[in-house]
Amino acid sequence: MMNRRAFLSWGTAGTAALVSAVGVSCGALLRFLVPSVFYEPPQSFKIGMPADFSYGSPTLLPDEKIFVFRDRDKGFSVVSAVCPHLGCTVTHAADQKFHCPCHGSIFNANGTVQHGPSPRALEWYEVALARDGQLVVNKDKVVPPANRLMV
Amino acid sequence: MTMKLIREIWQSIVRRDPLSTEKGKAELVFLNVWLHIHPAKVKRENLRFTHTFYLGFITFFLFVILVVTGILLMCYYRPDPSLAYQDMKDLQFAVFMGPFLRAAHRWAAHGMVICVFLHMLRVFYTGSYKRPRQFNWVVGVLLFLTTLGLSFTGYLLPWDQLAFWAITVGTNIGGYAPVVGPMVREILLGGHTVGEAALVRFYVLHVAVLPSFLILLCVVHFWRIRKDGGLSRPLWKLKSAPPEPEPELVTIGAPAASAPLRMQAASREKTYGLMEVVTGKPIFETILPEEEEDSVFSYPYAFLRESIAMLVTLIGVMAVSLVVHAPLEELANPAKTPNPAKAPWYFLGLQELVSHSAFLGGVVAPAVMVLALLAIPYLDRNPSRQLAKRKWILAIFTVFVVANVALIIIGTFFRGPGWALVPPWVHVAGGTE
Repeated sequence: MMNRRAFLSWGTAGTAALVSAVGVSCGALLRFLVPSVFYEPPQSFKIGMPADFSYGSPTLLPDEKIFVFRDRDKGFSVVSAVCPHLGCTVTHAADQKFHCPCHGSIFNANGTVQHGPSPRALEWYEVALARDGQLVVNKDKVVPPANRLMV
Repeated sequence: MTMKLIREIWQSIVRRDPLSTEKGKAELVFLNVWLHIHPAKVKRENLRFTHTFYLGFITFFLFVILVVTGILLMCYYRPDPSLAYQDMKDLQFAVFMGPFLRAAHRWAAHGMVICVFLHMLRVFYTGSYKRPRQFNWVVGVLLFLTTLGLSFTGYLLPWDQLAFWAITVGTNIGGYAPVVGPMVREILLGGHTVGEAALVRFYVLHVAVLPSFLILLCVVHFWRIRKDGGLSRPLWKLKSAPPEPEPELVTIGAPAASAPLRMQAASREKTYGLMEVVTGKPIFETILPEEEEDSVFSYPYAFLRESIAMLVTLIGVMAVSLVVHAPLEELANPAKTPNPAKAPWYFLGLQELVSHSAFLGGVVAPAVMVLALLAIPYLDRNPSRQLAKRKWILAIFTVFVVANVALIIIGTFFRGPGWALVPPWVHVAGGTE
């Protein structure tokens, strides 16, 4: 015959074991759904030789979704072409501003939101020189717009 | 000899009495696993078209059409970005009846979203969500959400520009949910952008997970219709009927202490079912003896009407599919966003809200709307179903519905490039790039 103390302790332990087993199983199943390896383009990639880019209006690299700016005095800078609102690709207009086609967000020349629903500014990425002389962009390193690479 | 064998086989399948007898008519329903979802007899006024417009039934039948056409389409479709669009082109130009079946699947899906919506309106305006049917309304709201989920996951599969950008916008809206948003988005996409992994996951959700869930919910939904007392009485019946008398319940044999009922000795002449000897008050309406003359056998009255509804639905979907093909745009191009990029039409109200504020419009507003829908039967404490006695809730709900429809109309017809306001004929005249 089990007394009250034993019943309560075994009951508590049993319930705790059951709950944690179910919890761990659910957690494991959820983790299963998160890929361990992403077969996605690398966040850091080479975009070509500095001489490939012209001065003045920026070059849009459509696959990488970045604009590459080259300025005679200040050098290279790279900005994301993905609108932080809902992921559409922005365009660079003659007024030196970025326009999002989806919800009309407008970003001024240094990427800050001037108009529209975008919650954040466009991101500027670190750009560096690789050993072979090519430009390397690292999307994991967000830098202030003033950061430039002189070549 | 042969006739005898045929008769024996027939009788092994169908055990009922001939349909010319009342017993046969009743047995047709309750001896048949598919038909016994119906009661053997139904109230005559519940069959009136203007009571339900058969909307729930039509919605379910559209789902059946979607399952059949969907399985056929699966025979040609491979969920891989490099193959999916090619398969769509094959379906469109090479497969016999491919365009027709694809169009039927697409238009039936749109029809289902519309019919679920109209069905919910009917149930709301007739007050049919009230006691004892509160929970079935909740199941209905879940069915509505599952229908939207099925439409949304199906949208990506053609892998054209429309599909790709609609899903990019749609999943990014989900990403704004607090705490879980980014994680849900990553699990849904199997990555960080709409790509291979996302296509497979949406395919799995679309052909396996969500349809199974929808069928399970349907089972509960239909079961509860019966257990909650069948269809609600039409409103016009409520007006003429005297206030419903509290039915006098009889307990057979020994009553439980909690059953304040008249006791009646059990009869030796009768076999009692479990329902008759358990004590307590049934929560559902039953057909009272005086209503008996008002009711008819489901066969043929209900089945005939349902068959007509099925036929009209089928003809409607086929007719539209013969005339209007399902759209298929260019191959998905992640580098080029069409201008404007729009979510599927039933999410355009949401996109319109999101265009003003991503968090308030994309997360807070939809969450409040869904919670409010789920809570309606529990918040509305007014027992009356008559329109005149429900002015406040009718006004609130109508404003809610009109606002949602208006947002969808604005998003669909009045938004052009850069999400700027445009006159609606721009879309017809092809004014956009």
